[in-house]
Amino acid sequence: MLNYIWAGLIVFSLVFALATDTREIAQDRYRNDAALPVELHFPDGYAADARRQSVEVRIRPEVYQAFYDTDATPERAYDGTLVQTQDGRQVRFDAGASLPEPMATIREVTAGSDGELRAVLQDFVPNGRTVAASVAFEPVRFVKMTAITQAAFDFADTAVNIIIGLIGALALWLGLLRIAEKSGLVGIIVRLVRPVLRPLFPGVPKDHPALGVIALNLSANMLGLGNAATPLGIKAMEELHKLNESEDTATDDMVMLLAMNTASVQLVPPVLLVAIMGLQINELIFSIIIVTGCSLLVAITAAKLLSKMRRYRATDPNRKTVVGLEENHPSDAADVDDPDAPPSNT
Amino acid sequence: METFRSIVELMAVFVLPAIIVGFPLYGLYKKVPVYEEFVEGAKEGFKVAVQIIPYLVAILFAIGMFRASGAMEFLVEGLRPVLSLVNIPPEVIPMGIIRPLTGSGSAGVVVDLINTYGEDSLIVKIAATMFGSTETTFYVIAVYFGAINVQKTRHAVPAGLIADFTAMVLAVYVVQLLFG
Repeated sequence: MLNYIWAGLIVFSLVFALATDTREIAQDRYRNDAALPVELHFPDGYAADARRQSVEVRIRPEVYQAFYDTDATPERAYDGTLVQTQDGRQVRFDAGASLPEPMATIREVTAGSDGELRAVLQDFVPNGRTVAASVAFEPVRFVKMTAITQAAFDFADTAVNIIIGLIGALALWLGLLRIAEKSGLVGIIVRLVRPVLRPLFPGVPKDHPALGVIALNLSANMLGLGNAATPLGIKAMEELHKLNESEDTATDDMVMLLAMNTASVQLVPPVLLVAIMGLQINELIFSIIIVTGCSLLVAITAAKLLSKMRRYRATDPNRKTVVGLEENHPSDAADVDDPDAPPSNT
Repeated sequence: METFRSIVELMAVFVLPAIIVGFPLYGLYKKVPVYEEFVEGAKEGFKVAVQIIPYLVAILFAIGMFRASGAMEFLVEGLRPVLSLVNIPPEVIPMGIIRPLTGSGSAGVVVDLINTYGEDSLIVKIAATMFGSTETTFYVIAVYFGAINVQKTRHAVPAGLIADFTAMVLAVYVVQLLFG
């Protein structure tokens, strides 16, 4: 399933990006070959031989809205610089100006590292302090196509940064857990939680340390200790993997642990949400606990029922008897999608 | 609710130091060479982290592309008529779609909704409840299974998504029931 979702995300981003770009080209959203009429105001008068001078660019709202066929309203004036070279005149809008759409997008796509939106000045006849002229921006095409490419590389970077941030906490917890294991502390925890967790993780032997680490992981989740929950969850997975007869296939117990983690039972709301919501969070605690509790029950039930489906039973790396021909055809679509079907093989 | 929250938060404050100090202390009592064992265990940290990288890169770059493509707007438009039939406000759809994919992205959705509708609105309460009651399923899958090099996740994705879906739908009705 992950294969399909993963491929789907990539393919659909291409499809949607193409669709959006085609629509924008069809609508001529960025008016690529036209020039926007503006008024230039020189506070100190126009200097014909100055290479750079400051200028105020005034855009009339009604002209702007008609030109781009939009409801967005530009500000009364934008500070900028007029750059004159032999090749012509260029207007640069100061970085950080709050531009309306679609100018903001044009800046995003065409601006260099200085963040200044550049435009070629046309129809400029200097006379006096305020001059009518028009500006043509660099053509903008395939915004979304560029964006998805950029996003792919940015997020690959993000992934590595996230992991680097995880190394310290991971090492700390793996070290602490090693002490706990050697000193028999994990064994004590196992005995405490066994009655509750054993039914959920039937593949784990009675005194296996996995149950202890799972208990720690789930408690860390409940208390909202994010930097403890993830390393503990990873360690719990490692313990479960020791019981796995295959190298690369998840067991029922692993899926159960994962499902319980994604349901994220928390008695306190996540720090990030508290930061966003402020005091308003207090009245939401009750609703969050109800919802998350129910979703935990659903997660457990779903993991249990799904593991009984034929297609998933057939791929169970730890199943006792290897019977049936479909062992190597887990994606046989004919007999799936019925969680209530009685376990027929084995 | 506030007292409950402060009790749990108080516990959270003391649990970590208790473990960080308690585990080695108990180890000493049991005559375990605590420093050596700690280092031995911690050694694994780097290796496991590096092992996760390819999995997380695979998941995150696909999600990043999907977000950047503008697919969300299309989906929201497509789902709007269906969802208003069952009394789900269409404004919270992006949350439902993006929550299992990215944590920071869904936090951004909550912030956007607050800016548009205000903290007190039902829509923000629903979105915040959605955020608080589920996890970033695909991130968890990448990290947990990446750490042990498991690629065949079997029913992990459907189970996680079923739970997420339940939470999303429940959040709408529970919040409407409590505050509506």
